[in-house]
Amino acid sequence: MRVMTDHQEDGLTEGRAEPSSWVQVGASSEGDTNSALQDALGQLSLHRAPRLVLVFAAPHHDFGRIAEHLGSALPHSAVVGCSTAGEIASSGALSRSLVLWALGGSGITVCSGWGEAGQQGLRGAAADAAACLNGLQRRQHTVLLLLSDGLAGNQMEVVRGAYDVAHHDVPLVGGCAGDDLAMRRTRQLHGTRVLSNAVVAAAISSDQPLGVGVSHGWTPVSAPMLVTDSHDTRLEKLDDRAALDVYLDFFDPPQEVRDDPSAFAAFAATHPIGIRRRDRIEMRHITGWDAENRALLMVAEVPQGALAFLTQGDLDSVLKAAVTSTQDAIAGLGDCQPVGLLLFDCVSRRSIFGDLGLKEETARITESSGGVPMAGFYTYGEIARSSGSGGFHNQTLVTLAIG
Amino acid sequence: MEPSWSLHLLSEVLSAFSTENPDNLRQVLNRVAESVDAEVCAIVGNVHIECCIGLADEERRLVLEMAESRPSSLSITGGTLCSCWAPLGAERQLMVGRLDHPFDLEERSLLRAMARSIELSLRMLEAISAERQARRDASNQARHDPLTGLPNRVLVLETLNSWLDRRPGLADKPIAVLFIDVDRFKWVNDAHGHAAGDELLVHVSGILQSAVRRDDLVGRLSGDEFIVITRSSSREGARDLAQRIVNAVRRPLRVAGAELSHSASVGISFAAPHDTASTLIENADMAMYQAKAQGRGRFSVFEPAMREQARERLDLEETLRHAVEQGQIETYLQPVVTIRTRQLLGFEALVRWNHPRRGLLTPVHFIGSAEDSGLIEAIDLAVFQCATEAVARWQRLPGWRHLRISTNISARTLTSADLVQRLQDLINTCGINPAQVYLEITETSFVDDIQATGTTIRGLQQMGLKLAIDDFGTGYSSLLYLKRFPVGLLKIDQSFVADLGIDADDEAIARAIVSLARALGVQAVAEGVETAEQEKRLRRMGCECGQGYLYGRPLPIATVERQWFGGVKALQTRS
Repeated sequence: MRVMTDHQEDGLTEGRAEPSSWVQVGASSEGDTNSALQDALGQLSLHRAPRLVLVFAAPHHDFGRIAEHLGSALPHSAVVGCSTAGEIASSGALSRSLVLWALGGSGITVCSGWGEAGQQGLRGAAADAAACLNGLQRRQHTVLLLLSDGLAGNQMEVVRGAYDVAHHDVPLVGGCAGDDLAMRRTRQLHGTRVLSNAVVAAAISSDQPLGVGVSHGWTPVSAPMLVTDSHDTRLEKLDDRAALDVYLDFFDPPQEVRDDPSAFAAFAATHPIGIRRRDRIEMRHITGWDAENRALLMVAEVPQGALAFLTQGDLDSVLKAAVTSTQDAIAGLGDCQPVGLLLFDCVSRRSIFGDLGLKEETARITESSGGVPMAGFYTYGEIARSSGSGGFHNQTLVTLAIG
Repeated sequence: MEPSWSLHLLSEVLSAFSTENPDNLRQVLNRVAESVDAEVCAIVGNVHIECCIGLADEERRLVLEMAESRPSSLSITGGTLCSCWAPLGAERQLMVGRLDHPFDLEERSLLRAMARSIELSLRMLEAISAERQARRDASNQARHDPLTGLPNRVLVLETLNSWLDRRPGLADKPIAVLFIDVDRFKWVNDAHGHAAGDELLVHVSGILQSAVRRDDLVGRLSGDEFIVITRSSSREGARDLAQRIVNAVRRPLRVAGAELSHSASVGISFAAPHDTASTLIENADMAMYQAKAQGRGRFSVFEPAMREQARERLDLEETLRHAVEQGQIETYLQPVVTIRTRQLLGFEALVRWNHPRRGLLTPVHFIGSAEDSGLIEAIDLAVFQCATEAVARWQRLPGWRHLRISTNISARTLTSADLVQRLQDLINTCGINPAQVYLEITETSFVDDIQATGTTIRGLQQMGLKLAIDDFGTGYSSLLYLKRFPVGLLKIDQSFVADLGIDADDEAIARAIVSLARALGVQAVAEGVETAEQEKRLRRMGCECGQGYLYGRPLPIATVERQWFGGVKALQTRS
């Protein structure tokens, strides 16, 4: 099931020539959805209709209203979005807010799509959403943006489904929708359609380069261990020992962490599992435990046969990673200057930062990018594939730089 | 590379195999590619790529073209695809490709090991799939009729039971069962062969399927018995459906070079609370029987009284079968005379059932049951045997060499494949002159399929037997067969004889039959002659022969022998 929209027409054309690409951001912390929309839209000075508007909103907002309002206010723009576990705007990290990220320009083309998991699963949903690529008027550089339901199952399947359509030459970026850690329901938005258990996508093509940066800042603290038993999102054994026992024995956390699931979740947020890939370590967030079977419950699969590490990070390393992710994304633009950033930042990183750290992270990103407009959200998982065929991450900052 | 590492990695790859997931091969390729951080993974066959991730169609074609040379690198959009090829059985290869980063020795070894494991898994998967398919086929066969592809009795009962289990809307949409039986199907089978019979059944199944709605069920119970289960908004809807089926089946069908005039009888039963599937089908069967009894090619709706009738019918069949075995079926003979002189010409053999409790029963009480049950063939031949034996004996008496005998042969017996041989055997045994033997058949059965029975009749002709057309004038009265087949007698139906002197039309018909017989050079025999007035009128119109109470009632063979052949004497008038 999918809808594809080719957003080539400009409804707000003015006399002067439009730049090849531009980004604008509007954000509001108004609690009321109508007020937040008016506030955020008011901050966009739209001389031309954007090709794409991304909306990231706290879960308390009325998504039906958002879809309806944006549909009438920006009838010539593709509108895609999701609920969050915190928002990011040019002004920094936000909570309980609504953020709009508008992309336009004469060198930009966009198509959008959606797919529901239902019986076909996340892979099929992602493939349906990614099929919007088929309707895209391709420019020199293309990326597929994906927003998925972070509570809908193994998110590796989102990457695999999108890759079925995008193939090796279209990078994938995106994030998993959140619900402020309530873990009940997330929303995805496509045009006037509000969905759950779905994937929405926007294929972006540009005359100017598009850069992707991926960095997490977590450091392996254990020796590499072989994943000897793993099924889907359950990590059963490391080096033939129960994974939960390996984990607790290694870190030796306070008793509260061993007894209280909430305390364990908080601890695990800052002590994720790393998986060895050829030239990097990919992070996996631990969502909980199975005390009876001594297994760790993960947000995405940890493949059996992989080499895994127990990791930890500190404020400094994670902040440095934010800078690295931003710089890598901008480096991907070559000689082209960035006009805007899109950020997919793992909600677990907030646990490390605290309020001050959050401000510091966005400040460093702003500093690294030269203060270009930026927006994003805190996610339940990040997507970035530019090499290999995998590309699902946790506890990571994924940055898309628009050249 | 640690052995355990590769084993666990293999296990991870193979865990993606699943007989339940049709997309499992793609999942396997994802895991292979992810394990070595490759962009591309494909299973490449000789003529096509079976499965691939990471490449667009154009690049897949390139890989296929290069498959034979197995290059270590390919130039594609975005860079150089460094490739590793590993055999996957005799006709396939696993190709893994990574952009700009060649595989090292360890990775190549791992990928070859993966290919071997995938090959084994594929074989196992194919074997399992084949076995599952075989089981599905077997299950399908167990529930479907192989000739028509329709659900068989097992599936019909299962479906009907499941409908009955969830019938909240019973009052609004009654479940109706239509029991459809092809009339005289055995006759078609016997006369035209089983291939023609099968063709007719497939034809009928097609009619039923096109007559019903998508949610209705059409099944074949056995032989020529079909079933339709429907849920219509009213009982009238089921009646309309039955009538549509009756009308559609009635249209002629050309089979084996002949045009079949066939029909179907339909019985309808409606589900009542607590009815089971079996009960509903039984009820529809009884209603179908009623439709047949009313003349075939029509439908009838079940009523509780039919159950008692059906029980009586079954009892009658069973008792009749017993009667045939126990010799309770007796042959009676009725004299046939020359009307002008009242001289005895011969006899017509008639059947009687000497019922132990009900006494002597005439055919009207049991012939229908005998025809339905197939016992008629045994009865026809038993009567033929007794009558010919007696007449053969009397023919040897002085002056009775030309004594003739006519016996009835039903339409069903006439289609029996070995009838000619069996009659020949009986004639040989008793030594009767076949020229004096007439087989009485009704013109309806004769004309119904003149081509199919033609072979049998020609066989009878070669034996020297002649045909007597019984009840002439009441059926189709086609003149064609009178010319083509060895007809020796035309018997004027007693209904015309009874009205002589009363109904001018009937008298005109009787006169026409006599004229026709004379023109064809065959004899006319008036049946049911009871009065001197009738005899006088028949004589005037030139009818040569007669039979009826005026000349003698049907009597047991022993009585006939005692009365007429114990000492031959002139036949006396009995009024």
